[in-house]
Amino acid sequence: MRPATDTGRDGVDMYDVAILGGGVVGCAIARELSRYHLRCVLLERFAEVGFGTTKTNSGIIHAGQQTMPGTLKGLLEVRGNAMFDRLQRELGFGFRRCGELVVASNDEELASLAKMKADGEAKGVPGLEMWDAARLRREEPNLSHHLTGALFAPSAGVINPYEFAFALAECALRNGVEVRLEHEVAAIAPRPGGGFVITSTGPGVPAGAPPVEARFVVNAAGVHADQVAALVGADDFSIRPRRGEEYMLDRRLEGIVTRLIFPVPTPASKGILIIPTYDGTIMVGPTAHDQDDRFDVPTTVEGSEEVFAAVRRLCPSLDPRATIAEFAGLRAVSSSGDFIIGPSRVPGFFNVAGIQSPGLTASPAIAVHVTELLGRAGLPLVARDDFEPSVAPPARFAQRTHEERQALVAAQPLFGRLVCRCELVTEAEVHEAVDHGARTLDGVKFRTRAGMGRCQGGFCTSRVMRILADRLGVPFHEVTKRGAGSWMVLPMEPAGEGPEARKEGAPCSDA
Amino acid sequence: MTETTVQHYVCISCPIGCPLRLVHEGDQILEIEGQECNRGAKYARQEFTDPRRTFSTTVPITGALYGRLPVKLSAPLPRPAIPAAMEAIRQLSAEAPVRLGQVLLRDVAGVAGVDVVSCRTMDRVTM
Amino acid sequence: MFGRMNRRYDVVVVGGGPAGLAAALGALDSGVSRVLVVEREPEAGGILRQCIHAGFGLHHFREELTGPEYAERFVLQAMDRDVDVVPHAYVTGLAVDSSGHRLVRVLSERGGLSTVECRAVVLAMGCRERTRGAVRIPGTRPAGIFTAGLAQKLVNLDGYLPGRRAVILGSGDIGLIMARRLMLEGVSVAGVYELMPYSNGLTRNVVQCLDDFGIPLHLSTTVTRIHGRDRVEAVTVAPVDETGRPDPEKSWDVPCDTLLLSIGLIPENELSESLGLALDVVTGGPKVDSTLATSLPGVFACGNVLHVHDLVDFVTEEALRAGRFAGEHARQLRRPRDTIQLVPGANVRYCLPHTLSTDRSHTIYMRAKTRLAPCVLRVGNLLEKRLRFVVPAEMIHLTIQPELLERFYEDRLQIDLVPVDGKGAP
Repeated sequence: MRPATDTGRDGVDMYDVAILGGGVVGCAIARELSRYHLRCVLLERFAEVGFGTTKTNSGIIHAGQQTMPGTLKGLLEVRGNAMFDRLQRELGFGFRRCGELVVASNDEELASLAKMKADGEAKGVPGLEMWDAARLRREEPNLSHHLTGALFAPSAGVINPYEFAFALAECALRNGVEVRLEHEVAAIAPRPGGGFVITSTGPGVPAGAPPVEARFVVNAAGVHADQVAALVGADDFSIRPRRGEEYMLDRRLEGIVTRLIFPVPTPASKGILIIPTYDGTIMVGPTAHDQDDRFDVPTTVEGSEEVFAAVRRLCPSLDPRATIAEFAGLRAVSSSGDFIIGPSRVPGFFNVAGIQSPGLTASPAIAVHVTELLGRAGLPLVARDDFEPSVAPPARFAQRTHEERQALVAAQPLFGRLVCRCELVTEAEVHEAVDHGARTLDGVKFRTRAGMGRCQGGFCTSRVMRILADRLGVPFHEVTKRGAGSWMVLPMEPAGEGPEARKEGAPCSDA
Repeated sequence: MTETTVQHYVCISCPIGCPLRLVHEGDQILEIEGQECNRGAKYARQEFTDPRRTFSTTVPITGALYGRLPVKLSAPLPRPAIPAAMEAIRQLSAEAPVRLGQVLLRDVAGVAGVDVVSCRTMDRVTM
Repeated sequence: MFGRMNRRYDVVVVGGGPAGLAAALGALDSGVSRVLVVEREPEAGGILRQCIHAGFGLHHFREELTGPEYAERFVLQAMDRDVDVVPHAYVTGLAVDSSGHRLVRVLSERGGLSTVECRAVVLAMGCRERTRGAVRIPGTRPAGIFTAGLAQKLVNLDGYLPGRRAVILGSGDIGLIMARRLMLEGVSVAGVYELMPYSNGLTRNVVQCLDDFGIPLHLSTTVTRIHGRDRVEAVTVAPVDETGRPDPEKSWDVPCDTLLLSIGLIPENELSESLGLALDVVTGGPKVDSTLATSLPGVFACGNVLHVHDLVDFVTEEALRAGRFAGEHARQLRRPRDTIQLVPGANVRYCLPHTLSTDRSHTIYMRAKTRLAPCVLRVGNLLEKRLRFVVPAEMIHLTIQPELLERFYEDRLQIDLVPVDGKGAP
C-alpha cells in the first residue's frame, strides 16, 4: 500500500524526501529510504555519485575502539561496522576485514593502548587483543623493530568507498529513487503549505525544468553542508574542510603489511596510516590540514614529506619512489567536532553534516538513524515487500581463477579483449561499468580499475574513451574525465578549416 | 659595401652538437669555426645557403582501422616553404585502401619533385 | 598468417612490436618453422606505428624511414615467411609441463582463454612511460595531463589534439618530437622544461623541433605544481639546484591547458615478474646470459622489455639474436655455458648481457652515467677503445671478438669508461 502523496504547484508531483548530496552518506540514506513506499530524489552536483570526498576517502571500516566514548560518532561507528558483511553480500563492493593494529613505540603509548582497549570493549568492539613486540614481529615482520606492542582489532577492514557509493546509489535507483546528476543546489525556499522548493543549476538541469518540491530535505552535502543549510537558515553550525593527502604505491609492495597500521592517535587525527587496500596496492596517508577552500584539493611537497616520514617510522621499507598516484580529499569537519545528525531549527529540514572519520564506517548506521528520525517527524515509513537489496557485483576478471576466466570468455567474448593491461581489465567490464552508471573516464576507472595501475591510463585511456563515446552516443572528444569542464581532447579541424576555426566553440574558453 | 655578419648554429650531425659560428659578407661565406669535424662546416654552409627541413603529419582517412593516415615528404623542402606545405596537406584526405609509398599530392607547395606520400599500408576494414 | 593461432609452436613471441617481429624472424633464421607472435593491439608494429617522424633505420637499412615504414617492413617479412600473428591477444601467464614444454596462456577475443604449447618463449613486451606519480608532481588532478606517448597516440592514430596550449616536462626525444608535432597542428607549446642541466634528446631534435619553432627549452627547471580544478589551467615551474631541488623563491606560473610528461621509460615487466624472473634493478629488465636467455629456462628477452633502447635499429639487432637463440633452444641445440660475469665499472650505469661465453663474438650494450668527451672504453685488460664522447642518452654498443676472450681465464670482466687522462671516474 502506498500512501497518497501531495501534488505540488503546477501539478508537479511532490517528493517525500529530497536528499542533497550523493556522497556515501547521501547514497546510503537514499537506499535506506527506498525500502519504504516513498517518493525520493537525490541531487548531486558532480557527474557521478561518490565523486567528492567519498572518492578520496582512505577506505577504512574502523573497528571503533579509537573513537571517544559517549559521542554520536562512536555509537554509529560500532553499529555501522557490524552492518558491512551483509552489505557486502548484497552490493558486491570490494571489502575485506583485514584487521587493524594500533602500534606503540614506548611505554606511554602502550598505556594509552590499554586504555583504548578498555574503552573499545565498553563500546562493544569485538575481539580486541594486546600484542607484545614478539607477536607483532611474527605477524607483521616488515614493521619497524622499534615498536614495542600493538592493539589488534580484528573487525576493522578495508573497502573501496567509491564502489560502495556506486552500489548504494544503483540499488536506490532500482528501488525507485530518482538520481539527478550535475544538479547543484542553488536555492531552497519554503513551500506554501509545507515542504520545500529546491532550485538547482548545472549542466544536468534541463532548460526550463521545474524546481524539485519535497516535504522533507536531508542535507548530506559534505563539505558544503553549512552553505546548503544557510539557504534555509538552518546553519547553526559551520564546516571547515580538512585536507588529507594520500599516496598510492605500486602493487609490487603487496603483502608488506597485511593489516591496517595506525600510530597511536592524537586528539586531532587518527594519524598517518599504512593501508593494504582491497585491490592489493598499499596506500599511505592521510595528512590533516585545515583550509578554507572547498574545491581546491592539491597534493603538496610538504604533504608527501610528512606522509613518508611518518610511515617510514612504522615500516622503514616503504619507498616514496614506489608512488604511482597521489591525491587529496577534504573531510567535512563540523564546528561541534561530532556528527550533526537530525532535524534542524527549520521544520522538515534535516542536517546530516560534519560526517568526517569514521563517517564511511558509520554511513549505513547513519542512514538507519536518519530514517528513524524522519519517521518520528511524520514521514510515513511503510515497508515495501518488493524492495530489492542486491545489485550485481562487478565481474573482477583480474581476481578470477583460470577456470572462471575461461567460463567468462566463453559466455561473453568481450572478456577476451583486454583494455587495461596493468590491472587486467577487459572490454566486457567497461561495458558493464557503463551499464551500472559510469558516464566518465573516472566513472569507468573507479568501477573497473582501468587506469588505476602503474601506467596510470597511458595504455587504456583512448580505448575507454572510444567505448564510452560509442555507448553514450557522443563524439570521442565529448568524453570527459569527470564531467563538465574536464574535457580530454579537441577534434582536429576538418579539411579546409584552419587552426583558428577550431578555437570557436571549443569545449573550454581561455579565461 | 656590405658589412660582415655572424650566424650561429648548433651542428646536428652528431650528439656532440658543436656550436658553429659562420661569418659572412652578404651571400659570401668568409669563415666557419667551432666544428670538431668537417661535417660541421658542411652543415653550417647548407643552413646558411639553403636550409631544408622535412616533416611528417597525418591526413584523415575513411574506411581504415584508424582515423589518420601518416604521411611524409618524399624529400626535404626549403624551410620557408614548410607552412605552405602544411596548409596544403591540411586539405588532403584519403580513403582506404592506401598502399605504402602511395603519392597523395605531387610537387607540394610548388616545389618540383617533393611529394606527399603515405607512410604505411592501410587496408579497407569493414566495421 | 595474420589472425591464426594453433595449439603448438616452436617459439612463441610475446609482443608484436619491432622487437617481437625481429625475434620471430630470428627464430625462423635458426631453422624452426612454427612461430607465433601474440599482439595486444589490433595490428602488429608496436609503438612505431604512432612514431610518424623520420629517423629510423639508418643503421639497419642504411636509409632514413618513418616509424610506420620501419614497422611495415617487418610486418611484411613476417607475413611472407608465414609467422602467425594473433592480434587483440594478451599473454596472462606461462607454465611448464612435465615434458618440459612451455605452456603459454593467451587471452583473446576469438580464442577465449587458450593454452599454446611451445619449446621457447621470447619476451618482447616493450616499455611503458613514467607517469606523474613517479616524479610526484604536487597540485590538483585535472584533465589535461598526458604522457607524451599517449598524446602521440591520440594525435597520430586517433586524430585528436590534447589541448590548445601545452607545457612539456622532459626533453627526451618523445617530448621534443611532440613539441614540433603539436606546433604543426596549431597547438601552441609554451615551453619545454628539463630537470637536468642538459637535454636528454638528440641535438638534431632540439634544433629542428624546438629552435625552428621558437619553443624555449628551460634547462635545470621543473614543474613544481599543477593548477586547475576540472582541466589544467597553469603549471608552476621553478629552477632546481645541483641536487635537483626546486627553488620556490624563483618559481613562476605558466598558463596552459595541457601538460605533457616525457620523463622516461620503464621496461614493461609485469609478466616477467609474475614468472619470477631474476630482474636487474638498474635496467628494470630481466637478467640475461649471452644468448639473451633469462633465469627461466627457455624464456628469452629482447628490446625495450630488456632495457630501454634509444634506437630501434639496435632493438632489431638484439631481437634477431634473441629469436635465433630461442629457435636453437626449441631445436634443442645447446650453447656452452657462460663463464664470465660482465660487471659495470667506472661511469657505466649498466651493461648487457650479464654474462659472456668464450666461444664466440658478443655484442655488448651499455650506458654511461655521465657525459665524458673524449674518453676511453676499457674492457678489463682485454680491450681499450677511444671514444669521442659518451652521453647517458646514447647507448654504447661494442663487439668483442672470440680471439680476445679465448685467452681470458678469469670469471669477472669489468667495463669502465674513463677520461682520456686514464684516471677512473670517482
